[in-house]
Amino acid sequence: MSDDGDLSVRELTELRDLLFGGERRQLDELRRRLDTFELTPEEIAEHLPQAIMQRTNRDRQLGIALAPTVECAISESVRRNPQEIATAIFPVLGPSIRKAIAETMAGLVNTINRAIEHSFSPQGIRWRIESWRTGVSFAQIVMRHALVYRVEQVFLVHAETGLLLAHVPEDSSGDADLISGMLTAIGDFVNDSFEPKHTGELRAFAAGDLTVLVEPGPQAYIAAVVRGTPPNTLPVKLQTTVERIHLQWSNPLASFNGDATAFTSTQPLLEECIETVLSTDRAASKPGLRKFAWAIPVLLIVAALSWWATRGGRQWNTAMTRLEAEPGIVVIRSERDGGKWHLTGMRDPLARNPSLLLASRGVDTNDVVAHWEPYVSTEPALLLARARRVLAPPVGVTFSLNGDTLSVAGRAPAFWIVRAESVAPALAGVGSVDFSRVAPGLPAEMEAIAAEIERSRAFFAPGADSLDKSALAATALVAMKFRELLDAATTIRYNVSVTVVGRADPSGAESDNLALSRRRAFAVRDRLVSLGIGAAHITTDAIGNNDPLPADSPAERARLNRSASFVVRAQPSASVNGAERAR
Amino acid sequence: MIQKKVCMVGVFGTGKTSLVQRYVHSLFSSKYHSTVGVKIDRKQVRVGETDVNLLLWDVEGRTAEQEIPASYLRGAHAVLFVADGTRRETFDQLFELRELTRSAAGDIPSIVALNKVDLTDQWTLTAADTAKLIAAGFHTLTTSAKTGEGVEDAFRWIGVATMKDAAPAAQAQVRHGN
Repeated sequence: MSDDGDLSVRELTELRDLLFGGERRQLDELRRRLDTFELTPEEIAEHLPQAIMQRTNRDRQLGIALAPTVECAISESVRRNPQEIATAIFPVLGPSIRKAIAETMAGLVNTINRAIEHSFSPQGIRWRIESWRTGVSFAQIVMRHALVYRVEQVFLVHAETGLLLAHVPEDSSGDADLISGMLTAIGDFVNDSFEPKHTGELRAFAAGDLTVLVEPGPQAYIAAVVRGTPPNTLPVKLQTTVERIHLQWSNPLASFNGDATAFTSTQPLLEECIETVLSTDRAASKPGLRKFAWAIPVLLIVAALSWWATRGGRQWNTAMTRLEAEPGIVVIRSERDGGKWHLTGMRDPLARNPSLLLASRGVDTNDVVAHWEPYVSTEPALLLARARRVLAPPVGVTFSLNGDTLSVAGRAPAFWIVRAESVAPALAGVGSVDFSRVAPGLPAEMEAIAAEIERSRAFFAPGADSLDKSALAATALVAMKFRELLDAATTIRYNVSVTVVGRADPSGAESDNLALSRRRAFAVRDRLVSLGIGAAHITTDAIGNNDPLPADSPAERARLNRSASFVVRAQPSASVNGAERAR
Repeated sequence: MIQKKVCMVGVFGTGKTSLVQRYVHSLFSSKYHSTVGVKIDRKQVRVGETDVNLLLWDVEGRTAEQEIPASYLRGAHAVLFVADGTRRETFDQLFELRELTRSAAGDIPSIVALNKVDLTDQWTLTAADTAKLIAAGFHTLTTSAKTGEGVEDAFRWIGVATMKDAAPAAQAQVRHGN
């Protein structure tokens, strides 16, 4: 029975193998694979390239996940054989280095430009003054005015506990852990305090020019302290950073229990968020102008050339306008021929020299051939000039024209008035002459001195012709006054002389008296000469007792006329008269 | 550097803030209590070979009108309850406060400081009360802001308790209080 039983079992097994052997093996294999559910290397090799490609297309997480492994592999490879990697990256390295150098140089040039701009612009000078006044360094002043924004600190904070995971820059506040706790508390506070509750996270808060941007994540958040106005791109940057940290540090985050050591390696990522942007960094200020800066010198050269080309013509036209405005000059024709200007016209001899006028307007008079016909101009300026030239008025006498009436005003010697009255009406263009405002006499400067000389007397004893003490004193006074008169006359261009008139009292014969009076005149003249008065300035006259000086009593009259008296003569300087006569 | 979040909780006027202010590093003024409702200080303790930074969330005291905000308790690694030994009602409320903490932060090491122990003549608590606390799982000690009694002990206990998982050996250093 047992054999039968054994047989039947064996037979059944054989039978089953015969009938279902293939299917059973397949079933076992399937069961095994279901139990273990592990991919074989062959299967992985089959699907890996496609899997990598699909995931890479979807997002960057594969790259981020692989990065540490790749870094590790590269550093291992470099450790083993540096040459291998060096050879592989050489074609990439060369251009990169060149590009880096070029960018550094461009940056340097930009920095120099900015330094110059800041140093010499009015704004720069203002900032320098502010720096000097406030004692704050120039760099800080520039920063204060030019700062658009600066990310000063970045905190990575564990969301649930508010504990600090990482903080950059490292050297800043040692109380970062307290601040991160407080930031978390404030976030909770805002969330708890305002309706509706738990609708979201605190994302930003601001005080003055300081803004704290908070970028939340499921397990940790980033808080960035920003001075100035943060750009819209900054939250995006912070968000990317939070996402990367959650991906790369997912295990340390999940198991965080107060030990932040694992997060020290997030610092490079956080440091990427630290940045400073100045308004001067923004090339947008005047890119168009800067781009075409080279055109400025070119335009200047073109302008200079065209100015040079037309300069001659413009100069001539200006000079012609000036010439035509000049009294006494009439331009009839002006033309350019054979590289020279040809001028034809009429000119009053008293008009200004046309060549000088042209030269004063920058015209090269060597290039000008001029022909002027003389004519007499009746323009007021020339008429007055002619009157002055012909009449040679003494200093202080003025001419003016009222219509065709020549008005003369001032003080002039009688002889000049007589001559002028006869000559003036004959001047071309003068219809009538008005002398009513001319007073006869010496010019005021000389009048007083001359009167003093003429009041002086050198008295003599009866019959005597030598100078006693009183006569010497009188003569000395006259000599002194005459020198004053000479000085005044020279200044106003007058010639002066003095005539010593010898006199005698009525007693005695007339011929004796004449002789006596002449000796007296000579004595005084000699005395004046010895006192330094030039003999050319002194004439003598002897009149005896003719035309005696009047007095109340005969005795007084006799005393008064035993004397020499003085007469001053003055007339406008001989050179003026000479010129007048020459005309 | 290990950091731990520690909440200080108590009824208004139990002297929480003055109890610790001489022993902690403060950055923020006490006006944060009346504005944000919490003020965070730092206390460094040494557990074995490790320095532990206790970030103390000094939460505004509970009043009849104002419950302690649960969100401040979230994620705490330990809690320091403070009761005023001269005011019995502050003791009575400890159990409610522990429930609040438990619902916000789970079962975390808890220590009770029975404060103002220097006012012996006004002391209202008995040995039975203390026994009740110990039976309820509180580590209990008496403290005085005036003399400083018990304060360093409390922090040391908290440091060790929060590091229990990481450094079990440190447990040996704990000197249990009364």
